[in-house]
Amino acid sequence: MPELLAFQSDFAAALRDRRRTPAVARWLAGEADVVDRRMAIYRANMVAAADKALSAAYPVIRQVVGGEFFHGLAREHQRGTPSTSGDLTHFGATFDAFLASFEHVQDMPWLPDLARLEWAAHLAYGAADAPDWDAAVLAAIPPERLDAIRFRWSPGLAVVRSAYPVVRVWTIHQPGFDGAFEVDWQRAETALVARDGFVVTVSDCPPADASFIEASLRGATLADAASATLDRHPDFDLGALLGRAFAARLACGVID
Amino acid sequence: MTAAPPPPVGAGIGLRQPHYREVFERRPALAFVEVHSENFFLAGGASMHALERARAAYPVSLHGVGLSLGSADRLAGEHLASLKRLVDRVEPALVSEHLCWGGVGSVHFNDLLPLPYTREALALLADRVDHVQSVLRRQVLLENLSAYVECRHSEMTETAFLAELARRTGCGLLLDLNNLYVNARNFGFDAAERLDALDAASIGQIHLAGHDVVDDCLVDTHGAIVCDPVWSLYADAVRRFGPKPTLIEWDTDLPALDVLLQQAAQASDIADREVAHA
Repeated sequence: MPELLAFQSDFAAALRDRRRTPAVARWLAGEADVVDRRMAIYRANMVAAADKALSAAYPVIRQVVGGEFFHGLAREHQRGTPSTSGDLTHFGATFDAFLASFEHVQDMPWLPDLARLEWAAHLAYGAADAPDWDAAVLAAIPPERLDAIRFRWSPGLAVVRSAYPVVRVWTIHQPGFDGAFEVDWQRAETALVARDGFVVTVSDCPPADASFIEASLRGATLADAASATLDRHPDFDLGALLGRAFAARLACGVID
Repeated sequence: MTAAPPPPVGAGIGLRQPHYREVFERRPALAFVEVHSENFFLAGGASMHALERARAAYPVSLHGVGLSLGSADRLAGEHLASLKRLVDRVEPALVSEHLCWGGVGSVHFNDLLPLPYTREALALLADRVDHVQSVLRRQVLLENLSAYVECRHSEMTETAFLAELARRTGCGLLLDLNNLYVNARNFGFDAAERLDALDAASIGQIHLAGHDVVDDCLVDTHGAIVCDPVWSLYADAVRRFGPKPTLIEWDTDLPALDVLLQQAAQASDIADREVAHA
């Protein structure tokens, strides 16, 4: 093995496991105890980087569990699923699965869903800016072609389903929230995550609307998404949903 | 190789999110602002909008922390592609990276890890820097690192390594004087003496920052004001190399904007004084 690769492999192993420090110490100047203390600085940096990245993507979970416990979650998550990119924006994509399996948070079974909501919000924050679009163009499409159109949804739009009141939990942890803090833990909520200009919005989405948007996001035509939704939600009002969606600029075009 | 015009010689600050609003409202006189490239590998949204506003008001320096030029096994092509998109979008005055590695195999440590300063590493870095400069179609600056361990198999000093890298590739150097001072203290060498190896023309930018002291080790936190010995080193560097675009870098425990502006003004004053005495 080339020398540089051997050195870096030993260094990496010592960062991931302190017991491997002697392997890297052979490359490094200084006494063993000094090398051990200095490698500890790099090990702490590594955890701090994971904590910082996850704190940016999961600010609500951090508030819910507290900064110290969150630091421990970051360390454990990184241990099992280390970062693979120099761009930490991507780190934490599987934090929900980690939370679902990590034994010390099993008393908060809603945490993985909250993580999925926050990750969707994190992606929406950096999503492309939606182009301006006037829904009036729909009027120009011949009626016989309307069934086959597909909506182009604004970048970042996502639906996150939960059996828990995740929208409520997210809302009461937003900066500046000054309402009542009660949470109805029996309530199942589906989150609609979107971008309004540069602001990420999270709203409680009626199940029928969520069903239509999910089908449409998967590429279904207007007719197919509507009929699949009506099968499960006979009272689904397509016109009302589209009115709200266009007003909130959730859609930014159609594929005719 | 073409390059956008460098920022005017003078002082700039690291622009961080808590200061966006105040900087855009006050428009303090700064030679340039610098951001971490990786924070803007995004398609759109509030951060990109802020960067565009900054770019409209100031020359921008893109400072990379994650490319990991020195990884022995591979250069992350997707990371370089993201940087390329950002450079094309922002048309920055300066683009810099670190002389370091950050990961090996599939794992990234998201840290700036020290290299052994060997001929093997120099050959690898020269290839990588050539590749990056040809992809970006511009010069990049390479920054010296702060470190807490050093390799016993190094064959030259870090500054000699950087000087040779600049000679081979035409890259510029980002001379971080706090990093040099941190290493001088951690490893027991004379910081000013190390400047002897550097050529004035190769130095494209200077970084100044504060550090922390943990037990027997100086740790590069970018969370404090610049210390007196680093200001002295800065005066020495200006005497040797002439005035250079100089950045006040602050990342942790971010203070009020005025503290950064005061540090930037101090850097300008020192540079002016040294130039006047030259």
